[in-house]
Amino acid sequence: MLILALDTATLVSSVALAAPDRLLGELTLQTRKTHSERLMPHVEQLLALAETDKAAIGAIAVSIGPGSFTGLRIGLATAKALAYALRIPLVGVPTLAALAFGCPVPGALLAPTMDAQKGNIYLALYRWQAGDLEEVMPPAVLDHEAAAAELAARPGGAVVLGEAVALYGEAFRQAGVALAEPHVAMPRAGSVALLGARLLAAGVRHGAMDLEPLYIRRSEAEELWEKRRSCRSR
Amino acid sequence: MSLIIGLETSCDETSAAVVADGRTVLSNIISSQVDLHQRYGGVVPEIASRKHIENVMPVVHEALAAAGADLADVDAIGVTYGPGLVGALLVGVATAKALAFAAGKRLIGVNHLEGHVFANFLAAAELAPPLVALVVSGGHTSLVALADCNSFRLLGQTRDDAAGEAFDKVARVLRLPYPGGPQIERLAAQGDPAAIAFPRALSGTGCEFSFSGLKSAVLNYLNAARQKGEPVNEADVAASFQAAVVDVLVAKTMQAAKMAGIGRVVLAGGVAANSRLRSDMAAACAAAGMTLHYPPPVYCTDNAAMIACRAYYQHLAGDWAGLNLNAVPALRLGEKKY
Repeated sequence: MLILALDTATLVSSVALAAPDRLLGELTLQTRKTHSERLMPHVEQLLALAETDKAAIGAIAVSIGPGSFTGLRIGLATAKALAYALRIPLVGVPTLAALAFGCPVPGALLAPTMDAQKGNIYLALYRWQAGDLEEVMPPAVLDHEAAAAELAARPGGAVVLGEAVALYGEAFRQAGVALAEPHVAMPRAGSVALLGARLLAAGVRHGAMDLEPLYIRRSEAEELWEKRRSCRSR
Repeated sequence: MSLIIGLETSCDETSAAVVADGRTVLSNIISSQVDLHQRYGGVVPEIASRKHIENVMPVVHEALAAAGADLADVDAIGVTYGPGLVGALLVGVATAKALAFAAGKRLIGVNHLEGHVFANFLAAAELAPPLVALVVSGGHTSLVALADCNSFRLLGQTRDDAAGEAFDKVARVLRLPYPGGPQIERLAAQGDPAAIAFPRALSGTGCEFSFSGLKSAVLNYLNAARQKGEPVNEADVAASFQAAVVDVLVAKTMQAAKMAGIGRVVLAGGVAANSRLRSDMAAACAAAGMTLHYPPPVYCTDNAAMIACRAYYQHLAGDWAGLNLNAVPALRLGEKKY
């Protein structure tokens, strides 16, 4: 069964086609063009390059976040509509887990990150144990300096992946925390496809009707409104 | 028979509709978010986008089911790609592109404002261009001439605020809940439209509008009364304000129709649901020997049936978009960007 995977959580646009045990092809671009213009043409082009008809796709895997709200919605809208129209299963793959899945170092503490704006990052912690990826800490929003201090204090250290490598690399380096190389640090749909394959094999299915992004954060308007309301009630 | 499925996610309604031969609405599912945005006094883009991604597939599925159609049965997929909120538009555009690719259907990028004009075709089977349209909503106030279904000529537009925007702002100072248009109309029904002489801007000079001065005049009137400690009859304020807006809209539309030499007028957009605008425009058209059409209220506010209708005429003209179709938030009436 072939899996088509999409990752548009960051500025990286990545689509991949994989069998459960083999990555057939991946088209990954880190440029400033919009996902909206490129995502569907890339899917079409990847299928053509892999000489695969869309009817051969057996499942869709999509990176669900955290990440850019708009980027996530473009990926999810596309994935849901593809799964619906092709009548195939859909699986949402947490973006930070997919990053860690692409860096299979046994025993190492992996710290995938995403930009959460205004000096903050989304951070989760994972570790490979006996061939499986284990979640050590679920995704949370942290100030990047607090995150660097916390990772530095962990015995054995950690390897930072994701957007914080480019955004706050210096802060982590100064704290003595290791950074992944650029090609490992970036989200790749190949990892989404193969982690998606594992989830599918474990029976995980998401609905084309109701899969939603993993935002972690509420909208700014909601946060402000809550703040104003709690001030007033005080 | 040609079936088009339309998608609309430009602002705060998620909508999908199936329309046959451009005129027969088989389904028109609208999921409104008005209640969600009310506490913020206007549409919050991020909240709107989150609601769209949640609602878009159920709405599409429901539209197909209610029409008794399968995606395989449709001839093309039409989607609003502008103008509107970019994050909101992108949900519809991405969904439509993926559906078109997966089902092997033509994709049609629809201009939301053109959709509003075409909403008139849904309720009047024989209606066809040439016609002059007054497009009037919270974001737009334009007069446009259609020589045929695919050529739009802008005759005039607002220099500042849209008419619907003025309604919303005046409603806010009168402490009426969002959206303000229907609230003003309700309050105005109990007031005297001749009680206060609010200004009619740019009267007698071409087909351009201006509503920011009117909005300030209402604010000044209320502030002056407050300072003097005089009581304010809010129903009179609402009625007089509404009369000022409607007078200008009617006068400019009649002028535009005469200039274009076209005797058929249509109203389009959310403010076209205003009953004072409808009755005054009807009287003016009757006096000038012109015919007037306006859509039923459900097709005045944002809906996908009008998008499917517009898409049908683009489909007939072979006006299809590629899979690189993008959202164009500032798309103008008659403009094409793909």
